Amino acid sequence: MRLEKCWFCSSTIYPGHGIQFVRNDAKIFRFCRSKCHKNFKMKRNPRKVKWTKAYRRLHGKDMTQDSTFEFERKRNRPQRYDRINTEKVLQAIPKISKVKATREKAHITKRLSVGKINRKKGDRRELEQSISLVKAPSVLKEDATLTLPKQKVTVSYAQTENTPMEE
Amino acid sequence: MAARFLSKSSSGSSLLGALGTSLLGVGSVARQTTSNLTYSDIFFQQQRTFIQMGTKLKVVDNSGAKRVMCIQALKSKKGAKLGDIIIGSVKEAQPRGKVKKGDVVYGVVVRAAMQRGRCDGSHVRFDDNAVVLVNKQGEPIGTRVFGPVPHELRKKKHVKILALAEHIA
Repeated sequence: MRLEKCWFCSSTIYPGHGIQFVRNDAKIFRFCRSKCHKNFKMKRNPRKVKWTKAYRRLHGKDMTQDSTFEFERKRNRPQRYDRINTEKVLQAIPKISKVKATREKAHITKRLSVGKINRKKGDRRELEQSISLVKAPSVLKEDATLTLPKQKVTVSYAQTENTPMEE
Repeated sequence: MAARFLSKSSSGSSLLGALGTSLLGVGSVARQTTSNLTYSDIFFQQQRTFIQMGTKLKVVDNSGAKRVMCIQALKSKKGAKLGDIIIGSVKEAQPRGKVKKGDVVYGVVVRAAMQRGRCDGSHVRFDDNAVVLVNKQGEPIGTRVFGPVPHELRKKKHVKILALAEHIA
């Protein structure tokens, strides 16, 4: 029994699932489900289809280079059965997959953290600029707790901005 | 024919006009029902079925025949699948070969566009329908086999074909 990878989406194909397509040049394409099979028949390039692993790896959305990938590489030489080795491998597999998962998650959070900071900056700017839509500026001047603590001391600038409104 | 009638009556009599519009009405209704299923949908949803009487298959050995038309699928009422034996009539042959055009031959299906389930639960399908000509005993007539062959042939005891194959899928 061998767990294959889907040609289109790169997910594992468990026994009993999917279709194998053998082309006349003897190249075998394995698909995990009919979705991937139909996309292949439509001649779609998996590197351009957003939900596939091929696209994600190509565009840097998912981790590409890591030492944990070395464990999963295909080995075509059949190995003589060694009981101790097999036991060790079976114990190691969940550990390796756990490490791999945490590293992949870290990669994604690192990628998304930039957006988080930018969104916070944008929110702060929006609050400073458009707070007058919610509360009158005179109220904000009286109660200092309603405004965000300003990072720069620009008190004089704010006063000159409000005076025309007061008039 | 209807168009010629319409063109002849340039005055545009009400009778012919009515005929024309009724015809158009029928045509548009037909178009409406087929527009739900576009050409591309039909192209992708091609339902592959068994190899039955009338199916043209490619011959992938050097026996001399090029195309064979199935006249009977042995062992099944529905039709032949991957690995089954069929009786065929040679439709196209190379000029100097072991078989001629019009011969009735036995063949083993080595590639089928319809998927066949394997014992581990997976399904295999090939790109086209191809056959290797054999004699009544099941031995191949040719000496070479081209293209990939499935290992379903081993179970069906077509070991000689597997030995000649260049790639076993």
